[in-house]
Amino acid sequence: MKKILLVEDDDHQRLLYREGFEDEGYDVVEACTGREALARVESDRPDAVVLDINMPGMDGLHTLARIHDLNRRIPVVLNSAYAAYKDQFVSWIADAYVIKSSNLDELKSIVRGVLARKTAC
Amino acid sequence: MTSSDWNATTLVMLLAGGEGERLYPLTKKRAKPAVPFGGLYRIIDFTLSNCLNSGLKRIYVLTQHKSLSLDRHLRLAWSLLHPELGEFVQTVPPQLQLVSRWYAGTADAVFQNLHLLGEDHPRDVLIVSGDHVYRMDYGPLLAFHAQHGADLTVACTQVPCAQATRMGVLEIDGEARVRAFTEKPASPVPLPYDPSRALVNIGVYVFETEALVRAVIADAKQTSRQDFGHNVIPAMVDDRRVYAFDIVEHRPPTERYWRDVGTLDSYFEANLELLLPEPPLDLFEGAWPVRMHSCQHPPALMRNVGDLEARAANSIISPGCVISGGSVLRSVLSPRVFVGAGAVVAESILMPGVRVGERALVNRAIVDENVVIPADARIGCDHADDRRQFLVTEGGVVVVPEGALIAPSDAP
Repeated sequence: MKKILLVEDDDHQRLLYREGFEDEGYDVVEACTGREALARVESDRPDAVVLDINMPGMDGLHTLARIHDLNRRIPVVLNSAYAAYKDQFVSWIADAYVIKSSNLDELKSIVRGVLARKTAC
Repeated sequence: MTSSDWNATTLVMLLAGGEGERLYPLTKKRAKPAVPFGGLYRIIDFTLSNCLNSGLKRIYVLTQHKSLSLDRHLRLAWSLLHPELGEFVQTVPPQLQLVSRWYAGTADAVFQNLHLLGEDHPRDVLIVSGDHVYRMDYGPLLAFHAQHGADLTVACTQVPCAQATRMGVLEIDGEARVRAFTEKPASPVPLPYDPSRALVNIGVYVFETEALVRAVIADAKQTSRQDFGHNVIPAMVDDRRVYAFDIVEHRPPTERYWRDVGTLDSYFEANLELLLPEPPLDLFEGAWPVRMHSCQHPPALMRNVGDLEARAANSIISPGCVISGGSVLRSVLSPRVFVGAGAVVAESILMPGVRVGERALVNRAIVDENVVIPADARIGCDHADDRRQFLVTEGGVVVVPEGALIAPSDAP
């Protein structure tokens, strides 16, 4: 079973995403902050990370860079309510950038895609 | 477009972080770009002067190893731009912002500074090196890059195939599009129209900014040396628009001079080339000034001592030097060098503050800063003897490092 690390500071959204990914058959681990996400990457060895950007403390872009530094092979999908972060080149380190929506179809599809590409490598 | 237009659309990243191992011991305490050259200059002054003379005034200098002397030099010599007008020469040592390591390679230095590109959002990024001595107007290169709609344009020159085995070799088609790029090939592919010569990379690149960002990120995800020549450029050749700008084809003879002064022998030869009757790099050309920093020194002085005449021929004698009854032949003297009575300095490079004692002989040597050569000493006259104390290069150049203590010739 593929393991997804879900990084999201909003409790309600985290629950929404968790249920959505569990429905897809993934094992979901959670982090509420960037620093917690880094600890989870090391302890839980996820197959992919779904990462919010606008979080208190270490933001998602900083967290993305640190995850890449820890393990450059873990695909990361940025999941933000804002498109404007695409202008920051650091966001391009991510494998995909999704604008948040209550409909999780696009996010699920992209996560499937990055996991398939990772498996193919 | 004018030079100010290029400045508006182009950001310069000058790579100055290499360890400079092959120039050791000159790089024992200083970064390679900070190694003195041509008496008054540092190696980096040539690239920075090219930028300034081309109108490019937004320059990040990515530093790393032993950067103190380079930092100091940049502050003293290159604090002439106007930050309030958006001009700058800014050093950027590893910030450990994105990652927790030093710059692993040239491409990693850019990767670690993606945020700088994001702040400026230039159309193009000119990537240059602080390790080369050359004269180049970057304007025609930038125009060529724009005309071809290139993702990357690699500046290059032509060298004999035998020499190309030590360099990055480009294979191009009839439209100057790069079809292959091979670092240090055993059998370099020659030019289509000259089987004796190959086209080689001179470490000057223009990237369309987004292509650069994608390329360094893609490379950072691989296990690689994170180097432009070894990894990034070869990976771009197949699916991006990569073009070659041949300075022999596109530039006048005055701009075809380019030297990699990365080894002690090439550094030595490039210095002595300045002394030729028609030097390939003319420091006296007013239209292309090479800036440097020089402290306040009295003028160079040559004085006879008794019957011993002070002589200097085919040499660079910097301010503050005193030739006191000695002879200087085909040599480069940095400021504050003293040559004593009866001493002879021939085909040598003497860095600031070197003192050559009476009757000493210095032949085909590089003598680093503030070394005191005692009276009657012999350097470069007997390599077996020289090797007991100093490094002697393949080309037969003796290198006397900073801090060397040289015993007088009559010492036990």
